[in-house]
Amino acid sequence: MITKWLDEITERSTRKKARQTSRRGFLQGIGVFLVGATAYPLLPVFRNGAFAAEPSSLVEEGDPNNCNYWRHCAIDGFLCGCCGGSATSCPPGTVVSDITWIGTCQNPSDGKDYVISYNDCCGKSGCGNCACQRDARDTPIYRPQNSNNLNWCTGSQADAPYHCSLSVVIGVKE
Amino acid sequence: MLFRTLTLLTITLCFCHLSQATEAVQVDYMLNCQGCHLPDGSGFPRRNVPAIKNHMGKFLSVEGGRDYLIQVPGSAQSDLPDKELTQLINWMLLTFSPTEIPKDFIPYSVNEVSELRKFPLINVAEVRQTLLERISNYEKQPTAN
Repeated sequence: MITKWLDEITERSTRKKARQTSRRGFLQGIGVFLVGATAYPLLPVFRNGAFAAEPSSLVEEGDPNNCNYWRHCAIDGFLCGCCGGSATSCPPGTVVSDITWIGTCQNPSDGKDYVISYNDCCGKSGCGNCACQRDARDTPIYRPQNSNNLNWCTGSQADAPYHCSLSVVIGVKE
Repeated sequence: MLFRTLTLLTITLCFCHLSQATEAVQVDYMLNCQGCHLPDGSGFPRRNVPAIKNHMGKFLSVEGGRDYLIQVPGSAQSDLPDKELTQLINWMLLTFSPTEIPKDFIPYSVNEVSELRKFPLINVAEVRQTLLERISNYEKQPTAN
């Protein structure tokens, strides 16, 4: 008795659902979910205040995957943009080092000095692509806070090994 | 819809925040301190980077603490001229540790900072340990604020 009743309810609701929805609609939903689930981890997220969001008003020119790009004026390492990430986000499988060194670079597009955070991405062996060495106002290692020669992965929660470096704009000088 | 509004709001806030120049004293913090002490001053205790947030002001309540904040290597041996260092330390106290500052706090003067940083600490860890014990004892007093 009860099973029959349950059968009827199930059949009715299933048929109703089938009338109201299309099979392609269902596939579409699944598709959106799958793409979303894949893309979600790649979205840039605000990690623990590690660095501020970049200004959307920032006007800049050049190729971020070239050592001569203005932001890389004091970078020493592999550009994350050539390693599966970007100039502002770590490649999949690596962790950003919160502890980092911070300098300034002049943006040729507007002539202003911007504060740049050179966070390292850690947890995988050296990327090897786009090795850059530019040393604007870099200091010897005995002044570590302004030295680009350190492996900052060793100083953070991310831990070694070093994979690549970011150049994140965190402020504008007057 | 809600998500879209929130996204737009976030973008707008970021835009407003960074379309204007960063305050000079904050740029000094970014270039001289933030790399290790982090943007909100929380530090990184797991790697022995001391917290500034909700902590720095406590030093002002114990003997030797006021001198320590200037003589500690990160202050005394920074690239900053005396005037900028003075402004930065006062700003950090008020920004990151306003509730721990004693009620009778007088901001550092340039002269005071200039004199103090002539004598940087050699045995930093030892001095720091002593001061932390003093802070701990001070906080146990019933009159401590």
